[in-house]
Amino acid sequence: MYLAWKEIKHEKLRYGLIVGMILLISYLVYILSGLSFGLAQQSTEAITSWGAQSVILDKDANTSLQQSMLTKSQTDKLTLTKKESYVGQTPVVTKQAQHKNVSAQFLGLDWAQFIGTKLTLVYGHKPTKANQVVVDDAFKTDGYALGDKIQFNSNKDHYTIVGFTHNAKIDIAPVVYGSLSTWRDLKKLPATFTASGIISRDADYSTGIAQLKTYPVSTFINKLPGYSAQNMTFTFMIAFLMIISLVVIAVFLYILTIQKIPNYAVLRAQGVPSGVLVNNTISQALLLVFGGLALGSSLTALTAKLLPAAVPIAFNWPMLIGVTAGILLTGVVGALIPVKLILKVDPVTVIS
Amino acid sequence: MTKTTTIEMHHIDKTFGHDTSKIQVLKDIDFTAQKGEMSLVIGPSGSGKSTFLTIAGGLQTPTAGTVTVEDTPLTTIPVKQRDALRLNKIGFILQAYNLVPFLTVQEQFSFVDRIKGTTHMDPSGLAALLDDLGISDLVDKYPSELSGGQTQRVAIARALYPDPEIVLADEPTAALDSQRVAVVGQLLHDLAKKHDKSIIVVTHDMRLEQFADHIYEILDGTMRQAS
Repeated sequence: MYLAWKEIKHEKLRYGLIVGMILLISYLVYILSGLSFGLAQQSTEAITSWGAQSVILDKDANTSLQQSMLTKSQTDKLTLTKKESYVGQTPVVTKQAQHKNVSAQFLGLDWAQFIGTKLTLVYGHKPTKANQVVVDDAFKTDGYALGDKIQFNSNKDHYTIVGFTHNAKIDIAPVVYGSLSTWRDLKKLPATFTASGIISRDADYSTGIAQLKTYPVSTFINKLPGYSAQNMTFTFMIAFLMIISLVVIAVFLYILTIQKIPNYAVLRAQGVPSGVLVNNTISQALLLVFGGLALGSSLTALTAKLLPAAVPIAFNWPMLIGVTAGILLTGVVGALIPVKLILKVDPVTVIS
Repeated sequence: MTKTTTIEMHHIDKTFGHDTSKIQVLKDIDFTAQKGEMSLVIGPSGSGKSTFLTIAGGLQTPTAGTVTVEDTPLTTIPVKQRDALRLNKIGFILQAYNLVPFLTVQEQFSFVDRIKGTTHMDPSGLAALLDDLGISDLVDKYPSELSGGQTQRVAIARALYPDPEIVLADEPTAALDSQRVAVVGQLLHDLAKKHDKSIIVVTHDMRLEQFADHIYEILDGTMRQAS
């Protein structure tokens, strides 16, 4: 470590450039991972907040809540427990004269069931009338406020925002929570339809009705429009970036090691064990990678703070630890590649 | 007084290359170095002086013959043991690139302490050595800030700092003026006489002749004692 640190201190520009390169790579990986996680979160925020374990849909709805319909004749045969909630989903455009239109997902609830009772508000109160709604706080950034009267699509009816909730997005759109009767109105459905589906906190909930199927929540999430494709795209981008990083870091460390061979030959001639030189190379790589990662993560934190709220960026510890460990590992692997060169340094080369 | 042998080389041959491109650099060399003596090995460029030095210091193995350093057969021990022997018993003064470029003069010495885990010279001893070599005011400089002569003198101090039993020097005075040659020659001579060290110097520089106990000449790979 002594030699490694002394060399970095002495060759500030050279090692500064390498730290800068690792900074940029880690910054890119962190930002991409953050965007990937943020976007994935926006697809599932609401579902995650409910603590759902399974979703019950019409078996012909292609695992889509929007496409599913549960009829009254079906739901009359069901006995829901405290762990089940009816949900009616439909996409809407929210309109208000003073604010811009917002594309949202309307979720009709029975407010006496668990999703309604457990919903946490950041402002306001839960609806007490059919023409009242609770909206995701993303609406606040578009200027919407408590008491605003909004319309959906070309519907003439007005609905009053009585509460804001946090982390309520589905299919990357903010959620408007209202009643099941409003959902029927928006879908222009008769009262013979109850909801789009049932959300259950019980993984084994079964209706016993052949036309209805219970899906694990993970299956339901993976079938959300674009969710798997988007996650796979980001995963491949990050994986390729990591592989390219490994090659770039390895090439840089290899060149650095080659440039140091005459110094290593002198030290070997003086009897310095090759193990000391290998440790020096690896500890130097770790110092450089740690430095780059520290700066890269700081820059990422700053960027995340400065980005507009509309940019879906989010981080979680397992993801950050995984990405950091991945880059650290690429650094160590990169440093290990030229170790063979160090072990083969011939001290005779420094004797004239 | 009984002399103690430090390096013993018997029937040393060294050949490079194969078949038609085979070159025999050293032929049947016998050499012995004693404690308290300074030996000078002279010869023209390409005569095999440096090869001789690398074999004596365990950096290369001979094609034939035996090398014994302080009763340890260099030619048969593992590389790690040879490294340890060089680190603990032998001080190399190399002609060029012999300082670590990113360590200051002071750090060149403290690095030796770090590697060996001990302090080799008290501060006053080091100060006296640096003073003798006229480099006391260079301790905070990096090698790139030193002249050729200063670099050479720091390299000499660096080799002597661990107090090695044997000093192998490759052209130690190549970059020095006559005044400095005399200082270095006297220093090496004193090391042999006052500190009972074994000094072997490979050189072109006949100005060192006056400080040597023995002078050997290598010519076309064979060695003869000149005086």
